Amino acid sequence: MAQRERVTTERMDRDAVSAAWPGLADPAHDSQRLFRQILGAMSEPGTLATLAVPAPPSDALGAALWGVVLTLCDLETRVWVAADLDSPALRQALAFHTGARITDDPASADFALLTHDAFDPQTPFAPGSDTYPDRATTLLVVVERLANAGPSMLSGPGIETIRALDIGDSPGCRALMDRLAANRASFPQGLDMIFGCGARLAAVPRSTRVRRADAKEVN
Amino acid sequence: MNGYNFAYLDEQTKRMIRRALLKAVAIPGYQVPFGGREMPMPYGWGTGGVQVTASILGADDILKVIDQGADDTTNAVSIRHFFQRVAGVETTTATTAADVIQTRHRIPETPLRAGQILVFQVPIPEPLRFIEPSEQETRLMHALEEYGVMHVKLYEDIARYGHIATTYAYPVKVDERYVMDPSPIPKFDNPKLDGNPALMLFGAGREKRLYAIPPYTRVESLDFEDHPFEIQRWEHACALCGSDHSYLDEVITDDQGGRMFVCSDTDYCQSRRGEVA
Ligand SMILES: [Zn+2]
Repeated sequence: MAQRERVTTERMDRDAVSAAWPGLADPAHDSQRLFRQILGAMSEPGTLATLAVPAPPSDALGAALWGVVLTLCDLETRVWVAADLDSPALRQALAFHTGARITDDPASADFALLTHDAFDPQTPFAPGSDTYPDRATTLLVVVERLANAGPSMLSGPGIETIRALDIGDSPGCRALMDRLAANRASFPQGLDMIFGCGARLAAVPRSTRVRRADAKEVN
Repeated sequence: MNGYNFAYLDEQTKRMIRRALLKAVAIPGYQVPFGGREMPMPYGWGTGGVQVTASILGADDILKVIDQGADDTTNAVSIRHFFQRVAGVETTTATTAADVIQTRHRIPETPLRAGQILVFQVPIPEPLRFIEPSEQETRLMHALEEYGVMHVKLYEDIARYGHIATTYAYPVKVDERYVMDPSPIPKFDNPKLDGNPALMLFGAGREKRLYAIPPYTRVESLDFEDHPFEIQRWEHACALCGSDHSYLDEVITDDQGGRMFVCSDTDYCQSRRGEVA
């Protein structure tokens, strides 16, 4: 009797999680569609995409990055969550929808979830190695805004000439762009980043050259 | 089409390949290892390309498959039928109409546009393999940019033949960093790799490697200052469409030794004949 009651409560919890943190209605086709948008964003750095994903209850993460998590994470991936996004509800939703393992060690994370405010250049995310540069943490970062305007100018693979990207003015946003600019010096090691702002998304991989419009080449 | 095992692969395998593809795009020309799956076709039939296509293809995509430039060869037909069956996608032979093009040994003559994805079937992904059989060593050579041996190989050609004899799978350098095998395309197609608006993805099934050239990426064919890279040229024009700028195949027309040169890209040749007629 007691056992049956426990199972029922668990199911209610699970139903509550799935209702509050929506999954993909049609997983195979929705994840394909979202992946193509993410692939497009990574292939053409700085371009903006709007992802059609049911918004999670927490505004802090936003629909686009939740869509990235649902599309790319599963029980083979480790996810690091910054303190300002972390909550029992998010952990439950991650486990319920993806099976991803939460890790406290940023260096072992495949993906890191954070906001621009929480970005600390000293956090030891994995940059990969020169022999296996793919073994690097991909940062999924909530930013202040996403617009194709100054002050950061992007060039390199995926960009025909030059593309402007604005993720915000906060110290965290500036530090993120500085970190991306530093990727060139350690290439092929480096951090790839996917930025989210509500349902909008943009990506800047480590191959991108980043400079501020008001400065000379950073590297 | 039922979503379950859409495009043959299970969702977890697709996610694993998709994560690897993002890394491949982020590090242009670098070979990303992936946990490939067995496919219902033998190696040599493009299982690497098929797995990439299966991981990116959507129900609304229009797919084109070519082998040596032709849409109607056994390999191309069987892969096209495979995706019609497992994904229910629309297919085409027209380069301009395709969203995704899977290819073996050619890049279409018709210029690709932004948004299109070209998926290459790759037999041997490692350009340094013929020099160094050890994967550990070639990985180190890539890490250290130790590419002098590639030039030695090309130089030996010049010493022996007076010119660089390598005519297909001609090595390139991607974004001034990684030396990459462009798959066994003729070197005629190498210039199309440079600054192409389409995304190019490469899949090697046997060795389980993926790599990529993002759109608008600088891709140079290795050469020497005094022996610059050159593409093949023909004295003939295509016997069917009159093209003097496409890659030509020599075909035997009868048992009297009759022969002619025709475009290897059948869609290109047919569309040109359509315009002329
Ligand atoms: Zn022709």
